[in-house]
Amino acid sequence: MEEKGVKGDRVSTDQPVIRLDHVSKIYPLPFGDVTALDDVSLDVEPGAFIAVMGPSGSGKSTLLNVIGCLDVPTKGDLFIAGRNIGELSDDELTDLRRDTLGFIFQQFNLIPLLTVRENVEYPLVLKTRRRESEGLVEELTRRVGLEEELLSHKPSELSGGQQQRVAIARALVNDPEILLCDEPTGNLDTKTGTLIMELLTEVNGQGKTIIMVTHDPRIAEYAHRTINLVDGKIV
Amino acid sequence: MIFFEFARRSIRLHWLRSLLAVLGIVIGVIAISSMGILGNSLVLSVGEALSDVGDTVVVYPHAGGFGNGAPLQTDTVITGRQVQQIERAVGVNDVIPLHLSADRIEVGGERGVVQVYGMDTADIPLLLEVTDGVYLRGASGAMVGQALARTYNLGVGSRITVGDQSLRVVGILAERGVGFDINPDRAVIVSDQWYRSVYGEEDYDQVIVKVRNLEEIEEVKHDIDAALNRREIEVDIFDTRMILETILETFGTISTFTTAIGGISLVVAGVSIFNVQMMSVTERTREVGIIRSIGTRRREVMKMFLYEAFLLGFLGSAIGGILSFGGGYLALLVMLQDTTFLFASSSLVYIPYGMLFGIGTSLISGVYPAWKAANLNPIEALRYE
Repeated sequence: MEEKGVKGDRVSTDQPVIRLDHVSKIYPLPFGDVTALDDVSLDVEPGAFIAVMGPSGSGKSTLLNVIGCLDVPTKGDLFIAGRNIGELSDDELTDLRRDTLGFIFQQFNLIPLLTVRENVEYPLVLKTRRRESEGLVEELTRRVGLEEELLSHKPSELSGGQQQRVAIARALVNDPEILLCDEPTGNLDTKTGTLIMELLTEVNGQGKTIIMVTHDPRIAEYAHRTINLVDGKIV
Repeated sequence: MIFFEFARRSIRLHWLRSLLAVLGIVIGVIAISSMGILGNSLVLSVGEALSDVGDTVVVYPHAGGFGNGAPLQTDTVITGRQVQQIERAVGVNDVIPLHLSADRIEVGGERGVVQVYGMDTADIPLLLEVTDGVYLRGASGAMVGQALARTYNLGVGSRITVGDQSLRVVGILAERGVGFDINPDRAVIVSDQWYRSVYGEEDYDQVIVKVRNLEEIEEVKHDIDAALNRREIEVDIFDTRMILETILETFGTISTFTTAIGGISLVVAGVSIFNVQMMSVTERTREVGIIRSIGTRRREVMKMFLYEAFLLGFLGSAIGGILSFGGGYLALLVMLQDTTFLFASSSLVYIPYGMLFGIGTSLISGVYPAWKAANLNPIEALRYE
C-alpha cells in the first residue's frame, strides 16, 4: 500500500521535501525479524501538515525516527530536502537534523543543565559556533508566547506548557524546513494542548512542513491530512 | 564554548562525587611529586656527600671477587716495583702510593680506633686540603681529618697517641665527604717514613693516580692494565668517576621506582575518574539522546565528556601541585632530615610532571566513557529512563 503526493492546503509545485520510496525497516530480533515499516512510499510537499495515526506498534515512531534521520531504512530510499539519506555519513545526517529538521517531543526533552535561553539557542550555537543569537531567541520566545523573564530559568522551573513552548522555539531556531512532532500534546492538559496546537498551526501557516505522530483524533484534526499506519503499512 | 559549559555544570551539579574524584587525583599528584622530589633529593645528597674525585684512577691489589665498590679486605699489597711500573705507565700524571691500616687512638684519656694513612709528604697537597695549620713536611707529626678533630676536640698543636706513638697535630684537613679513593675525614695522615718505621711495612695498600687531562682517563687505565696485568691480573683498576656514575645511576633507579610507587595512587585515582565518568554517562544517557537528536555530532559529545574528565584532572592536579611542596617537604624531613634540595630545579620539576600525569590519567580514564556516550544510539538513549 502506498500513498503519494500528500499535500497540505497550500498549493505547491515544489519537489517533495520528504520522499519515502518503498521504505522498509526491519529489526532483527532473537525470536525472529520484526517489520516496523513495510514498503512505505510517501511524498510530502513543502508546507504540508500531516498527522500520523495508528495503534501502538503500528510503526508511527519508527516512521518519525526514519524521517528524522535517527534511524536508517533497511530497504528503500529516503530523501529529505532532496538528499538521499542512505548516502550520507553520520556527521552529515547529524547536520541534516540540526539544519533541516526540528524535533518536538512528548516529554519536551529540554536539556536540564541549560537555561531556557541556552536551550533555545543550542542548535544555533551548534550551527554557527557562536553564542550570540542577535535577538533571535527573544523573537522566538515572543513568537511562541513565552515571557522573556523565563529565559534565565532552568527547564525544571517551568510548567509543561511552557516547556513545550521552549521546545518549539528550540525546534525553530535554525529555521528548519520540517518539524517532526511526537505526541506534542501527550503530556499536557487539554487547554494547554489546544494552545500548543494553535501555535503549531501558526508555524505551519508560516511555511513549515509538519509531520505529527498522535493517538488523539482531536489533535489530528489540526493537520491537513491524516495517514493511518497499521502493521507498518499506510492504510 | 558550550560543551565546556556542559562539563562545568555537570561537575557542579554532582559536586560531591566530583570532589572525591578530584581528591583521588590530588593524592596521586602529591604522591608522585613527593616521591620524585624525595628520590631526586636522595640522588643529590648522595652526589654531594661523595667527594668529587672524577679525575682519579685507583689501583688496588687484585683480590678477586670485586664489585664496583671498595675491595675486599685481603693481605695482598702493591709492591714498590709495581708502583714503579705504574709510574712508567702513566707518564706525567701524579702517582700517589698509600699505606693504610687501622690503629688505636688516645687523646687526653679518650680512646678509639682510627684509620691511619701513610704517604709521601710531597704527595699530600695533591690529594688533600688543609684548613687549619700546615701540610705535614717532616717524618714526625700528623694531620687529622675534620670529623676526627671535632670528635676529639683537636687543634693545631694537640697531641695524639696512635698505637704507642705520640704525634703532634700540624694541620687539620678540610672536610672531604665519602670518597672512592681515600676517606680522610675520620683518619690520621702520617708520613710514609713514620708509617714504615712504626708498622714495618714496605709495600702499599693502594695507589692513586691523579689524571691531569680527564679525557685520558681511559687511556691511563688501559696503560696500567697493560703494564701490570699482562700475564696475570695483579691489580684491579677503578675509575672513580665511573663508580660515582654507577652509584648515582643506582639511586636514580631507586628514585624512579619510588616515583612509580607514587604513580600507583594515580592509577587508583584514574579508576575513580573512570567510575565517575561512567556514572555521568549512564545518568545523562537521555540528555545525550536529546543533544544527538537535535544535531550534536558524535565527536562533540565525546568532547563534552572529555572536558569533564579534563576539568576533574586539572582541578586535582592544580591543588595537588600546590600541596606537593608540603608533601615533598614532609617526605624530605621524615626520610632525609634535610630539606635543602626541595627547591632544586631537578626536584621541583617533579611537580609539573606529577600534574601532567594527573591530567593525563584523567583524560585517559575519560576516553572510554566519552567514546561510549558518543556512540550511544540516539533512539535508545531518548527512551532511557
